[in-house]
Amino acid sequence: MKKILAVVLAAAMGTSLLAGCSGGGSTGTGGAAAQQTQAAGGSSGGEAQGGTEAPAADASMYEVTEPITIQWWHALEDQYSQTVEEVVKGFNESQDLITVEPVYIGSYSQLNEALVAAHAAGTGLPAITVTNTPYVAEYGAGGLTEVLDPYIQASGYDVEDFGAGMLQAGQYDNKQVCLPFLISTQVVYYNKDMADELGVTVPEKWADMDEFLEKVSIVNNGTTERYGSIVPGWDQWYFETVFLNDGVKLVNDDMTSTDLDSQAAVDLVYKYKEWCDKGWIYWANGTDASSIMRQNFIDGKAFSVFHTSSLYNTYVDRCDFEVGMAWLPGGETTKNQEIGGSMLLIPSKNDQATKNAGWQFLMYLCGKDVNMKWAKETGYMPTRNSVLKTEEGVKFLEEKPAFQCIFDNLDLIKPRISHPGWNQMVTIWMNYLAEIMIEDVDIPSKIEDMVEEINEVLEDA
Amino acid sequence: MEKNSFLKPRTMSAVKDFVCVLPALIFLAVFTYYPICKLIQISFTDWNLVSDTWNYVGFKNWVWLFNGSGTKHLLNSLRVTVLYSIGELTITLVGGMIFALIFNRLNKTFSIMRAIVFMPKYVAMSSAAVIFLWILNTDTGILNYFLKILGLPAVDWLGNRNTALISVLMLTGWRAIGYGMMIYLSAMIGISKDYYEAASLDGATAAQSFFKITLPMLSPTTLFLFVTTFISSMKVFQSVDILTSGGPYRSTEVFVYTIYKYAMEDFRMDRASVIAIAFFVMLLVVTASTFKISNSSVHYDS
Repeated sequence: MKKILAVVLAAAMGTSLLAGCSGGGSTGTGGAAAQQTQAAGGSSGGEAQGGTEAPAADASMYEVTEPITIQWWHALEDQYSQTVEEVVKGFNESQDLITVEPVYIGSYSQLNEALVAAHAAGTGLPAITVTNTPYVAEYGAGGLTEVLDPYIQASGYDVEDFGAGMLQAGQYDNKQVCLPFLISTQVVYYNKDMADELGVTVPEKWADMDEFLEKVSIVNNGTTERYGSIVPGWDQWYFETVFLNDGVKLVNDDMTSTDLDSQAAVDLVYKYKEWCDKGWIYWANGTDASSIMRQNFIDGKAFSVFHTSSLYNTYVDRCDFEVGMAWLPGGETTKNQEIGGSMLLIPSKNDQATKNAGWQFLMYLCGKDVNMKWAKETGYMPTRNSVLKTEEGVKFLEEKPAFQCIFDNLDLIKPRISHPGWNQMVTIWMNYLAEIMIEDVDIPSKIEDMVEEINEVLEDA
Repeated sequence: MEKNSFLKPRTMSAVKDFVCVLPALIFLAVFTYYPICKLIQISFTDWNLVSDTWNYVGFKNWVWLFNGSGTKHLLNSLRVTVLYSIGELTITLVGGMIFALIFNRLNKTFSIMRAIVFMPKYVAMSSAAVIFLWILNTDTGILNYFLKILGLPAVDWLGNRNTALISVLMLTGWRAIGYGMMIYLSAMIGISKDYYEAASLDGATAAQSFFKITLPMLSPTTLFLFVTTFISSMKVFQSVDILTSGGPYRSTEVFVYTIYKYAMEDFRMDRASVIAIAFFVMLLVVTASTFKISNSSVHYDS
C-alpha cells in the first residue's frame, strides 16, 4: 500500500511540476483579454511590446450603450478627498449610463503594486487608474496600458491642446498610452521673508550655488542651525535634472549603460558631498524624510527646499512666512525640468465595454474644466495650452503669482527619461547617493559599484 | 458472509485512509507544492510581472545571483537577516527567560504585570510599527525628546545604518519579550518542586538551582522557542516594510523584503524567484540542522 501511496503522490507532484513547466511564453491571462479585444473588432491584445493595439477609429465601437459601474483607482490623499468627491459627482450627474466609484489605493507605489498584480492575474482591474509618470514606459512596454490613439481619433478628443511635453510624457513607442492628469514640476520653495532680509535670490545657475548656500546657511562650530537647502534624497526626480542640465545623460544613447561615472556626474556628486559635509544642505533620506524636510522649512530651520510644485498650497497654508517659489538653478547651457505628477491610463485587459466607460471618464478628468478645478484647489498645474497661454492663464497667475516662474519656463518642462529599467536604475542610484552623502565612504569605489550595477540592470531590462 | 469484490480488507482500509487525507493533499499540492514548482520554473525565465510574455533564459538568473551583481545583495540580505535573527532570538530567549524569572509569582499583582508585558503581542504589527515611527522620529519622536532631556544629541534612528536595525529590533523586542516570558512561565510551573527541595537540602544556591535544574528542564521549551522564533525571524517583513523600507541604503533589507522588492517594486519575478528558492533551501537546511543538533542536548524528562 505504501508503494501505491508513493506512486499516487509522485504522480500528483509530477503533474503539478509538468503543469508548472509547460506553457511557455504566456501567463495565460492575456489570451482572454485579447479575445475580448478582438471580439470588439480589434487586433490582438497579446502583443507584449508597445501595449494593446486597439481597433482603428470607428466611433460606434467606443460608445457606452449599457449602464455600467466602473472603478477609478487613485492615490490622492485626504487633503484632496473633497475635490475627488466633487469631480466624480459632477461626472456621475452629467450622464446616465456610467457610475464611477473612486477607490483610494494608497501611495503611488502601493497603487502600482496593486495594478501590476491585478494585471498579472488578469482580474480585479479598475476601468481607469492614475499612475505616476516614470511608469509610463514600463507599462507601455509590458502591454499593461490600452493604446489610446484609436479612442482619441474616434471621439475627436482634442489632445493638441495639451502642452507638447505633457502629451509626450504619456507616450511609449510613439503611441499614446496615457494622458496627463495632475501635472507638476520641480521647484525651489524658499523663505521669502528671510530672502528679503538677507537680500538674496535663488540663483539661476548651479555654478552660483556655493555663494548662495554660504550666505543663507548658518553653521556654528560644526552644528547647522539653518540649512541653505534640503535635497529630497528619497526621490531622484528632485536632483536628476541637475545632472541632466550639467550634460550627464543618465541613460546613454545605446540604452544599455549610464554615464554616471563621467567627470561631470562625479564632480556633481563631490559638490553635493562637500555641501553636506559643510552643513549647508541636508540630504533627506529614509521613511520620514519628507516630513522632516517639510517641518524644517516650516520651522525656519531651512532657507529653501527642493520639492514638487503640487505642494504649493500645502506649504503656503502651513508656513507663517511668505513662501517664494523659484525655478531650479540650471546648468551652463540649459535649465530644463521634468514633468512630474500623474497620468491616466486604461488597463488593456478589461473588456471593451469597461474600456469605453473608462475612456468617457478619462476624457472628463483630463478636460479643461476639471483640470482648472484641480489647479485652483491644489498646487497642480494647468495642462492646457488654451489656459496656459490665454487670459485664463493671466487670471490663474493673479490668484497664484508664485506660479509665474513655471509659466515663464513652460517649454522647458520635458518628458521623463523613457526606459523599461528606469525604476530599477534610479533605486540603485538613490541608494548609493544617500550612502555617499550621509556616510563616510570611499566615493570612487561606490560610484564604480553603482555604475556596474546600473549597467547590468539597463542591459537586462 | 459478505465478500469484498476486488480489494483485500487491509488494502481497502488504506484506500479509505488515503481518501480521507486526499483533501489536505490536494490543498497542499495546489497551494504549496504547485507554487514551489512554479517558482522553480520562473527562475529559468525572464518574466517581468508587467509583461504577459516571457522566455526561458537558462541559468541566467542563477548566474546573476551567485556570480553577478545579485551576489552582494544576497550576501547583504543574509547578513542583515542573520543579525536580525540573532537579535530577536536573544530578546525572546534571554529576555523572555529573565522576565519569566522576575514575574514567576502567583499573585494578583504579578498577574496584572504579566498581562501588561504580554499585551503588546496582541497589537497588530502594522499598528505597532506606525506608533514606533512616531516614537523614533528624529525631530518629534519621544525617544529623542528624552535623550534631549538627558543632554544627549538626537539620533536619526531610522536614517542611520548603525541604528536602523536596532530600531526594528526595539519594535520586535517590545512585542516578543512578553511571548517568550509566557512560554517560559508555563514551562517553569510544570517543573516539579521536588527537584528544588532536593537541591535545597543539598545546600544548592539559587544560581546552582537555576543552572542545574531550571535551565536543563526548560531545554525542550527553549528548543521550541528557538525553532519557532528563528523561523519567524527569518521571515520578518512587516516591521521592516513600515519602519525602514529596507533602508537606509539596504542596511535593513532582510530576505523577504528583498524578494518583495524585486517582485513588487522592480516587477522582476525572475530575480525574485531565484532569491526565494535560495532562501527556502537555506531555511530548510538550517531548520533540519537545528533539529539534528538539538536531539542530543534536549532533556524531555519533567
